[in-house]
Amino acid sequence: MNGSAPAVEVRGLSKHYGSVVALREVDLTIGAGEYFVLLGPSGGGKTTLLRTIGGFHKPTSGQVLLHGVDVSNQPPDKRPTGMVFQSYALFPHMTVAQNVGYGLSLAKLPAGQIREKTEAMLAMVGLAGYGERKPHELSGGQQQRVQLARALVLDRDILLLDEPLAALDAQLRKDMCLELKHLQEKVGITFIHVTHNQEEAMTVADRIALIADGDLVEQGSARDVYEAPQQRFTASFVGENNLLDGTVAAIDGEWAEVSTPGGTVPVHRRGRTVSTGDRVAVSIRSELTRLEPADAALDPTMAALDGAYRETVYLGLVSAHRAALADDSEFMSRVVASHDQPSLPDPGTPVRIAWAREAARLHLG
Amino acid sequence: MVDEFGNLWVHRLKWAYLLLIVFSLMSPVFYVMYISFNENGFGAAEYVLTLESYSLIFSDKLMMTALQWTLSLAFCTTVVVVPMSILAAKFYKATRYKVLTVFLLLSPLFVAADIFGAALLVYFKNLNLMFTSVAEATGLSFLSGWFELGFITAWIGLIIYTIPYAFIVVLITMGRYRHEQTEAARACGASGWRAFWDIEFPQIRPGVFSACAFCVILCFNEYTRTSLLKGGFDTFTTVLVSQMLNEGMSNESYAMSSFVSFTAIAVIGSIILYTLIRSESLGQVARAKAEPNMAG
Repeated sequence: MNGSAPAVEVRGLSKHYGSVVALREVDLTIGAGEYFVLLGPSGGGKTTLLRTIGGFHKPTSGQVLLHGVDVSNQPPDKRPTGMVFQSYALFPHMTVAQNVGYGLSLAKLPAGQIREKTEAMLAMVGLAGYGERKPHELSGGQQQRVQLARALVLDRDILLLDEPLAALDAQLRKDMCLELKHLQEKVGITFIHVTHNQEEAMTVADRIALIADGDLVEQGSARDVYEAPQQRFTASFVGENNLLDGTVAAIDGEWAEVSTPGGTVPVHRRGRTVSTGDRVAVSIRSELTRLEPADAALDPTMAALDGAYRETVYLGLVSAHRAALADDSEFMSRVVASHDQPSLPDPGTPVRIAWAREAARLHLG
Repeated sequence: MVDEFGNLWVHRLKWAYLLLIVFSLMSPVFYVMYISFNENGFGAAEYVLTLESYSLIFSDKLMMTALQWTLSLAFCTTVVVVPMSILAAKFYKATRYKVLTVFLLLSPLFVAADIFGAALLVYFKNLNLMFTSVAEATGLSFLSGWFELGFITAWIGLIIYTIPYAFIVVLITMGRYRHEQTEAARACGASGWRAFWDIEFPQIRPGVFSACAFCVILCFNEYTRTSLLKGGFDTFTTVLVSQMLNEGMSNESYAMSSFVSFTAIAVIGSIILYTLIRSESLGQVARAKAEPNMAG
């Protein structure tokens, strides 16, 4: 083990199933003690990546290094990782305490020590006194806590979590999210968490990597990924973004004018090199836009597109106003429902959708 | 699943029909059992209850020797077939070519017993000839006699015969097993074997025991292949059939038939009873899990 090496390093990792490419040349580095989330749509390759790190899949090519040691050809029981599965992974014929202590018994620890560590770990995950129960006597959330305890009791410094909250109901998922985050801060080991739920990812992650179609699309802090996505896919997957595809019509210093079917929009290049005629995309977060009357005066710091009002959907905390642009594509503006305008226009009424010029982000390709 | 809007009498009629079928199929066996306890045998006007025919079986040296051979064959077959069936069932769960795997494993069932037995007989005779020739040509005398008709050839015949049944029985219980549990055990530090032994085996144990029971019963019941491949010794069934063919049905024959049937029914009945109780217990667990639990 190399003390200065990152906890996990993935180099040029590919995984093929016959002609199907599950992962394509993925490079990734995860630091010790980091809470890292692999986020992406179902079938994108994030679970394959996690399972390859855990030793449940052998890479077609590339390497997996844990603490600087190449473990690509080692089975899961030889790797310094623990794993929490989505569901069904508790041993039903064992009690909760036997489940948690199973790895310790494999390590041939004395029975007293196993009991002591098991009880301490069950207390840590909030299940003190549940040791003699069978898994089927626990709720879904409790079962996932047992899985956590079973993985953490082994004192390994990398914990892999494969959609650990997917089988739980919405409220429980929110509660467990925070518990996971606090637990990780408490134990201080590396957590690698797979999810397709962006809220879950944002809640727990120090850093997020987006995986789709077998590619690592983008990685960064939760805030960066949400507020300043580099890739068009990231903007389409994280948050509620309006995406406008178009071509660069003109360049004026740091600003580019992008011609889209709905109209021309200005966008800051943020250091990116583009030329007139390049195919690009522009994204604007829906909560940074607002609906205005078509004839309202436009502030020079704002950009806008004209459209026709369609409908408003009340979502509790926010209301989503939907409008059609000139090419009939949809544009959405979300506002906190309590701050919403008292009267709404009739469907088809011409409106203007406006946003601060800096709110638009440029995506290449 | 019961149709709650269905007619209750139609439901009862279905059960009556099922029981009638079972009774019709089993009544000849019950009749043989009935006669086996009659001191005056088949067709007698007076029925005198006795167990003497059964005691005769167990005092008959020929019968006891045949029973020993049958038990030896049953034991050796079970020892080989059950682990092979577990491996085959594990392969089935892992492979993408499930239909092909099932077809290959069940293919011995599609060949008539006498044809299969005759084919194996010819095969072993040729194999024996070849091994004997090689032994003579090379002077490696230990090679001769491997495939002379006898225990080994009968054993191989029974392995081929019983493996599809054992495979199906193991597969049924293995079907409920979730592979994530093996992965969880591996993540806890278990080797492949430990994960199987500690986690998977306890959950498929009923299927494994059932497969053992089936193997033993099938070895007791099998006549055609065994009679063709056994060579110079006799098994329980071959003695029974040969006595029936040569001397007709004696009181002892009725007792022997009944003894085999009683044993088979007892074993199969126990398995069915155990499976029903287990299904009910699993059902209770599933219902308990389905109950809303507010504990989080």
